[in-house]
Amino acid sequence: MPVMAAERWLRSSWPASTWWAETLTSAARSAPADEVPVGRGAGGLLGNRFRVWLDRRIPPAREVTLSQSNIFIFPTRTGFVFGGLLVLLVLAAINYQASLVYAVAFLLGSVFLVTILYTFRNLSGLRLEMAGARPAFVGEDVEFAIRVVRPSVRGSPAVRVREGIRLGFPGALMRWADLRAQEADLVRLYVAARRRGWQNPGRLLVETYYPLGLLRAWTWVDLDARGLVYPRPLFTELPAALSGRRDEGELIDPNGSEDFTDIKAYRPGDPVKHIIWRSYARGDELMVKRYASFLEPRLWLDYQAVAGGMEERLSRLTGMALEARRLEREFGLRLPGEEIPPAVGDAHLERVLRSLALFGEPE
Amino acid sequence: VSASAPAAARGVVYQIPRNALALLMVAQAVVVLPYLFALSPWIIGVGLFCGYWRTGVYQGRWDYPRRWIKVVLVLSSVGGVAVSGVQPFSLEAAASLLILAFALKLVEMKSRRDAYLVIFLGYFIVATLFLFYQSMSVTAYQLVALVVVTAAMVGLNQHASRVRPLESMRMALVLVAQAVPLTVMLFLFFPRIAPLWSVPLPSSASTGISDRMKPGDIAQLTRSDALAFRVVFDGPVPPKRDLYWRGLVYSRFQDGTWSVGGLLPAWQAGEQPAPSMNAARINYEVLLEPTQSDWLFALETPLPRSAGVTLTRDYRLEAADPVHSVYRYRAASFPELLMDSYDALPDMLRARETSLPPGDNPRLRAYAQTLWQRAGDEASFVRAVLTEIYDQPYFYTLSPPPLPDRDSVDRFWFDTRRGFCTHYAGALVIMLRSVGIPARLIGGYQGGEVNPRTGHLVVRQYDAHAWVEYWQPGQGWRRVDPTSAVAPARIEEGLSAALSVEDRAALSALTGARMSGIGVLRDLLYWADSLEHRWNLWVIGYDGDLQSSVLTRLLGEVTAMRVAIAVLIGGGLSVALVAVSLFWRRRPVRRHPVERLFARFCDGVAGAGWRREPNEAPAVFLRRMAASGAVAPEQAQRLVDDLDRLLYNPAARYGARDLRSLRARLRRLQFRLMLGSVR
Repeated sequence: MPVMAAERWLRSSWPASTWWAETLTSAARSAPADEVPVGRGAGGLLGNRFRVWLDRRIPPAREVTLSQSNIFIFPTRTGFVFGGLLVLLVLAAINYQASLVYAVAFLLGSVFLVTILYTFRNLSGLRLEMAGARPAFVGEDVEFAIRVVRPSVRGSPAVRVREGIRLGFPGALMRWADLRAQEADLVRLYVAARRRGWQNPGRLLVETYYPLGLLRAWTWVDLDARGLVYPRPLFTELPAALSGRRDEGELIDPNGSEDFTDIKAYRPGDPVKHIIWRSYARGDELMVKRYASFLEPRLWLDYQAVAGGMEERLSRLTGMALEARRLEREFGLRLPGEEIPPAVGDAHLERVLRSLALFGEPE
Repeated sequence: VSASAPAAARGVVYQIPRNALALLMVAQAVVVLPYLFALSPWIIGVGLFCGYWRTGVYQGRWDYPRRWIKVVLVLSSVGGVAVSGVQPFSLEAAASLLILAFALKLVEMKSRRDAYLVIFLGYFIVATLFLFYQSMSVTAYQLVALVVVTAAMVGLNQHASRVRPLESMRMALVLVAQAVPLTVMLFLFFPRIAPLWSVPLPSSASTGISDRMKPGDIAQLTRSDALAFRVVFDGPVPPKRDLYWRGLVYSRFQDGTWSVGGLLPAWQAGEQPAPSMNAARINYEVLLEPTQSDWLFALETPLPRSAGVTLTRDYRLEAADPVHSVYRYRAASFPELLMDSYDALPDMLRARETSLPPGDNPRLRAYAQTLWQRAGDEASFVRAVLTEIYDQPYFYTLSPPPLPDRDSVDRFWFDTRRGFCTHYAGALVIMLRSVGIPARLIGGYQGGEVNPRTGHLVVRQYDAHAWVEYWQPGQGWRRVDPTSAVAPARIEEGLSAALSVEDRAALSALTGARMSGIGVLRDLLYWADSLEHRWNLWVIGYDGDLQSSVLTRLLGEVTAMRVAIAVLIGGGLSVALVAVSLFWRRRPVRRHPVERLFARFCDGVAGAGWRREPNEAPAVFLRRMAASGAVAPEQAQRLVDDLDRLLYNPAARYGARDLRSLRARLRRLQFRLMLGSVR
């Protein structure tokens, strides 16, 4: 495809590519097929200069309202073919001296000009908000929810309705926002989670070809989107649970011998070696120390206790956390420099997974 | 870079929205319909077949055609056009191929690109029709077709499956309507350029009188009320009896048929007629409907006043090319200017205008000889023949009895004695020629009808007429109309008055109405005619000359600067009109006056750094202010109470005074907050 080649050439040999490079490559696009991956982003792919320029032009924000300062518009390939058709019509009109063929050419040309306004207006005034992100494990997709709100105005459907608007992060499938019958739509976008930690999906592409597909209006907005990616879980056996610490676990033998629990008055039959002779010597009652044996139901998922490199350890701990949650066990997490006391419930699991995801990563 | 590969891998196959597909099929029907009568039936057949197949695919009954079927269809279509007898590389061949491509593409259309191809072909076919037809009704229809094709394009870009075709249609209608002002601007100002290269022109069956004529032909033509041409006179319209529109000169008679004859010599230098400055003249402009021929119509003795129109040696006007669309030309006629006023006609012309097929019509020729001996000079001879026609039982009729090819005029003159203008004119020419007087048959139109709404003259096919010119030394060619002897009313009042009851009953209802004139219907016809006339004048006839005169009238003086300014202002205004309709923010109404007051207050304090969150009720917003110390708590509470009461208590009654006081308090608060922010 010559267009692809041109695009590649632009990217490789044009380090100083700025907005017009984007515009040129955009012109090479034809109108959209349903749900075609974006396959490119504002960042990285088009070079640093463009990103810097774009950051200045459309600074990152959780909420962006589209206006003439951040909407680009340019004819599509179909639009250029349409232009060619107009030229043919005018040539035919000249050669056959046909007034009405001129009229057809002019009418179609005027429709094209009017369409510029419509295509631009389709995005203009649209508010995009980052509504939230649902975390995912490495290998899954992070879900980003984006709220698209059309401005509330009165008037006929032609004035109110916004149609054929697609959103997408680079490299992910695009989704349509439905603003025909409603003023706002929540669009969920899925981006493949490749590594743990905070995932920044890059700038969001918002584009439209409405109403005729002859022009494309688009923008790259940075909604400051980030989604949490947990380590890929590795399922291994849960650690043996018989560490004995008195403040944890479930009592299985109150007269065990391992953990000191409390002091009580001596009753005949208590083991003599548990008598606290020192206090008896002070003239108090005869007291005994009590020891008990515990089953440790509270798991400690300990970074030091699992094998492997850092990522493998984190994966194992993730698997253990999930397994423990499945068995509804109480568990805590010990990472170097961080400890989460044992607890139960989804909120706790999330907290643990978050720590695992962000271990060694910038917050 | 590989945009489509992952999509295919995931099993996402593009499908044209059903809404768009339905619209595309409707568009195809609408676009091809006007061609139904112009195309050969088999092309229509292919179109219907393709439409049927596509409908099957649409309903999920059939699959797309296989590759070999497509190949066979394409090859046989191209072959069909090649052998069907249309001229290769002509416009009809192109139109046929376009329509075939359109139909075939529709069947195999799958991708978005296919759909766009069909749409663009559709636009092209809509425009192509204007090379064949330009009337207002056709234009109105084609405008609808453009909207439907545009609607298909809109449908392609409305992804939602529940969009209905009517919605797309409405959108397309709005788009096209909003494009109209700009179109008018472009139409007015876009420079009209002369053709860049010569192109094959459409050749369809000619209408109106032709260059070969059997005596009965004009009678056939008379049954049609189709328009021949319209004339706008600079001065008053001359009387009806003087309106002889010369179009063709028939010099050759063979086997009962009159024809134009061989090529005429060109004008010799200095031979062209040159009227004196103060000669009586009639200036007029003719808007000729397509004839597919190059002859033009003019009153006697014409001189061309338009570029591309020439005067032939037999004093006719001729266009440079056959007339395929409404053709407009100016001419000046000099009724007193004589044609070929020599003392002796050049030999070549004399031979041409006195020749007769040997042995044909012997009785008439013998009869003419006896008349000629009695008469003595040309004028009395003609008078004698006319008297003969007037006195003897000759009849004027639209349905004369058929005549044989040989001795046809003998048969008419002595036996049937019933005929139309051509019969009498033809007989007179033969009689004149048989005694050696140069004479010729003239074909054209006689009379016409003035449309009282615009004052132009309308000449229809039923005004077709034939008469005679004979040559007299020193006098040149003189016109004589034998019809005036058999049916004087034809010349004075028009055909209808001259027809018998049976003849009139044979005419179609519309033709009859046009001729006789029933009040309301006639007015309606006048009105339609005047509209169509203006359409021809201002739209179809909008060429370089008209453009420069219109621009001069609009701008005073046509300079590049003025045109540029006019285009900028006009174009800007038409675009601004659309932009205002789109971008003018009509804010949602707040019906409650208290809500409105509070909204204004919020807008005011936003500048001072107090931004009301979207989810903040008025009370919450005010409490937040109070909490930060910007407002005294009791003052905030009072406002909250009042707002709650006025906004939410359905039983609350409040008057203008309550609202005024609330507004005043909110204003004061706003002012203080703004002062605070300044400090």
